[in-house]
Amino acid sequence: MPPIFDIKKCSGCGLCDSICMADAIYLKDYEEKEIPFLKYPDECWHCGSCRQDCPEGAISIQFPPDMLSI
Amino acid sequence: MEILELSTDVLVIGGGLAGANTAMAAAEKGARVVVADKGNIDRSGDIGGGVDHFMAFLNQGQEWDTQDAFLSYVENVGRGTGHLSIIESVYCAELTDAIDRMARIGNPLTQADGSFYRTRSMGQPGPYWINFNGKRLKPRLGKAVRKLGCTVLDKVMMVDLLTHQGAVVGGLGFHVRSGNFYVIQAKATVIATGNTNRLYENPRINPFNTLLCPFDTGDGQIMALKAGAALTNMEYMRMTLLPKGFAAPGFNALVGMGGRFLNGLGEYYMEKHHTMGNRAPRYEVVYYTLEEIRKGHGPIYIDCRHLSQKDLDHLRASLGYDKDTLPDYFDQRGEDLGSKPVEITVSEGMQAGPTEVTGSGVKIDKNSASTVPGLFACGDASDHNRCVHGAVAGGYKAGKSAASYALGLKRVDSHPKSLTREEIDRFVAPLYRSSGYPYRQIEDPIRKIMAEHVGPMRSANSLRVGLKKLGDIERYLDEMKANDLHELMRTNETRSILSVGKIMATTALFRTESRNKPYHHRLDFPKTDNTNWCGLVVVQREGNELSCSFEATT
Repeated sequence: MPPIFDIKKCSGCGLCDSICMADAIYLKDYEEKEIPFLKYPDECWHCGSCRQDCPEGAISIQFPPDMLSI
Repeated sequence: MEILELSTDVLVIGGGLAGANTAMAAAEKGARVVVADKGNIDRSGDIGGGVDHFMAFLNQGQEWDTQDAFLSYVENVGRGTGHLSIIESVYCAELTDAIDRMARIGNPLTQADGSFYRTRSMGQPGPYWINFNGKRLKPRLGKAVRKLGCTVLDKVMMVDLLTHQGAVVGGLGFHVRSGNFYVIQAKATVIATGNTNRLYENPRINPFNTLLCPFDTGDGQIMALKAGAALTNMEYMRMTLLPKGFAAPGFNALVGMGGRFLNGLGEYYMEKHHTMGNRAPRYEVVYYTLEEIRKGHGPIYIDCRHLSQKDLDHLRASLGYDKDTLPDYFDQRGEDLGSKPVEITVSEGMQAGPTEVTGSGVKIDKNSASTVPGLFACGDASDHNRCVHGAVAGGYKAGKSAASYALGLKRVDSHPKSLTREEIDRFVAPLYRSSGYPYRQIEDPIRKIMAEHVGPMRSANSLRVGLKKLGDIERYLDEMKANDLHELMRTNETRSILSVGKIMATTALFRTESRNKPYHHRLDFPKTDNTNWCGLVVVQREGNELSCSFEATT
């Protein structure tokens, strides 16, 4: 279920939330900052925009088993 | 949840590739512009994550490289699915400006050395595809649109058009995070909402695993139809070939670079079936691939092992421009184009144009105007734009025409009456139901019915059964429940998807022949009948019914 967020690298800027065309990424409170999470994982189109635009390089892509195994 | 009222010259519904070019054109003509998009115009639409191809003739000296040759190609592959005079106006006449504009916004179509990298596929007489790096095309376009002073409404889903005295005078929408409702008065409105891509049962399980943007759900076409506009070419069910588990684009790059289609018996079947072999028109490749699978000759592969290392390197890069995550997918699945054939399959069906050069959706004229005053359309939502090249060129044409129309109106004679809270509440009703069906419980059966009854093998009987079942589902639309604003957006999309399905089945029933098989393949009328059906099926709403007519192409 891409994307995967590296919370240590994430600055909480919210750009991934803002640009996600699926409206699948949202922010939530975490310790002293806001961090992204994938609220609607089934709706990710794997467009890669969040990974491309993340200023901290905090996003990686991992495809789910249904896509890799059929 | 507030009601916000805006007034503008041009309202653009959909800020993808076409809509962003529309907004640029209208603003550059001096119009006030509002752009509304369900996503964010910096990364929304079919090419939000990137793109690698643009079709063009360039007049570089070869006989196939002229406008006349290009229009002959349109005639050959389009087979009567578009008026050449309109394509000449909304694409050919805009092409030079479109290529210059791509460079102007910082995303030229050229390589680093200034040359065009051109490849040939899909029945083209010469290499019309320009291969380029468009990974940042949308962010650059978004920046250009904002710099021109357009009002950008990101994460706003438009749900209806405002009409007054027979003209479209704006639209209604809601913000998918705040819930605020927008009532936008506009002198001209442009539909730029793409195809309908979440319409058919998905062979890869997840209905959002689609070739083209799964958030393009025909909303604009349905709004236009309700406002009185005509639609055409809605009977075509587009399909393509793509990697087995991931609906990623790449067909044109793979074939353009020399990839060969291989069946499970080790035969290069397209080279046997078609004089153009692997470079045959897309619908021909899909048709023969389906035949191979039916004969038990699957699985199907794309074979690139014979390509040079240089071509393989270019191909790998290019595939990542078209779908940023496709190289990751190949890596994680253990695929390597250079060492073994990669398994591919036929995609889900889409409601989309029958070729890469003729579209479907809102019927437009040479000025991108619909059949309703004040309403224009472009990109994949219109019947004479298609693909990236159609969106860039046709989007700009629509923006110029809409601005000219809006600025030419001396004044707005009268506004529609203000909407009441009760009228707006019908769009948000699913939020307030205490119980009801999740949108997927309505949408999944629609996709199943479309695949089984309105798919690549149709007959009058199957289409009638499909229409009956779609009609049966319709009564549940008012029983959908949304738990939040995101789900409210999806329930509105479900309504559009069902309407598109009914239109598709109705128009497919009307066209009693087959054309561009398998995109419209009637088992009871398997032959193409150019005497009676070389043209467009036009569909409009009459009361609560759909009315079809035929318009011969010229």
